[in-house]
Amino acid sequence: MELVDRYVHEVGQYLPSRLRADVEAELRSLLTESLEERARAAGRPADAQLAADVVREFGVPRDVASRYAPEPQYLIGPRLYPAYRMAVKIMIPLLAAVVLVLMVIGQFQHQGEPPSIGPFIRATGSFLSTVLFNLGVMTFVFALVERAMHRREAAGSAWDPATLPPVNDPDRISYFGRIFVLYLIAALALLFNFFPEWVAVVVFNNTDSRVYQLLEPAFSRYLPLLNTWWALAFALNLVVLRQGRWRRTTRWADLALELFNAVILLLLVIGPPVFRYDLLIKVVLQWFLIFSIIKACVMLYRLLVRRTFEPWHAAAAK
Amino acid sequence: MVMGGTQLSLRENLSLELRRGALVLAVLTELRHEEYGYSLKKLLADKGLEIDEGTLYPLLRRLEGQALLKSDWRVEDGRPRRYYRASAQGEKLAKELAAEWQKLAGVIGALIK
Repeated sequence: MELVDRYVHEVGQYLPSRLRADVEAELRSLLTESLEERARAAGRPADAQLAADVVREFGVPRDVASRYAPEPQYLIGPRLYPAYRMAVKIMIPLLAAVVLVLMVIGQFQHQGEPPSIGPFIRATGSFLSTVLFNLGVMTFVFALVERAMHRREAAGSAWDPATLPPVNDPDRISYFGRIFVLYLIAALALLFNFFPEWVAVVVFNNTDSRVYQLLEPAFSRYLPLLNTWWALAFALNLVVLRQGRWRRTTRWADLALELFNAVILLLLVIGPPVFRYDLLIKVVLQWFLIFSIIKACVMLYRLLVRRTFEPWHAAAAK
Repeated sequence: MVMGGTQLSLRENLSLELRRGALVLAVLTELRHEEYGYSLKKLLADKGLEIDEGTLYPLLRRLEGQALLKSDWRVEDGRPRRYYRASAQGEKLAKELAAEWQKLAGVIGALIK
């Protein structure tokens, strides 16, 4: 019966490919049987009307598929969606403000020249492409976090009250903050690897806009190091997010990453020129390096003097 | 009208919730003997428990995924059918759930008298 085939095919479209063939075969067998039974009861051959009754009773294809699918069929679920919406709501006005500020600076720098709509169109184009890029990265990060959290819950473990953290818990994480860090890391990695020409200063004026790229081709020799750092930092933040809090091991890993970061900064500072305006950028990087070293010292001090609350120790000590 | 509709939907939801756990027990109990999806539906309906197909068949898959049922395809009367049967773990669980059900039914029965 054609309607049954169409129905089974439609349900299959909403199912993961690994389940599709099996569920479709079973569904076809069940619906055919049901249709024949109904035709027998009605005392007439199976026709389109009876087939329509059978599939209508079975339910809307998407709902039926969702009952078969063991995993959530969404990228970002109801738990993370409010945070995602908030992040998007913050990001878009922020990017718009940055573009507006750049345009205003351009206007001030080129006062007296005849007004033109060209820079405005270019600024709008640049704003839209930046929003799309950031939206893509943000969606990717949220989807990844959704998967990670779902897997942790699916693995399941008995909850123990002894694992409740203290009221004043310095190791509690902000989920939103961690997701934002993941987004930053992913955006930076994509930017430096695939769009290095976007690492630039843009000056808008009335008749034209000029883009001054900051990275020289020689910068690519640092990419393997930077990619390693980004990959490790991304993985660490994902682990922290899955665990729901900082632990001693993740704190040590964070310290190691901070030292790694300092080493990369040091190599950039003492290395050959790799930036346009190399001297100026390296002065900025020196300040980053000093900040990174101070941060690493503070992290080490805290690790040595402060006891971290370890939930599994608390549970074992009961 | 809206209030009536809301109350009906609420009653339906609570009724579904009430039935949900019972369905698992019914399915596991009936599948001590091998059945395929459609025959199981008819069997349960004949005993007074109507379950719509859209609920029953995915439930069978889920219970199989949880290792409470096992299944295999067979061709009968020229038609491929998937036969289900409770696994040893499923039968053990069905007994435990049945005991729980009896206890609960007794308590609730006394409460609503």
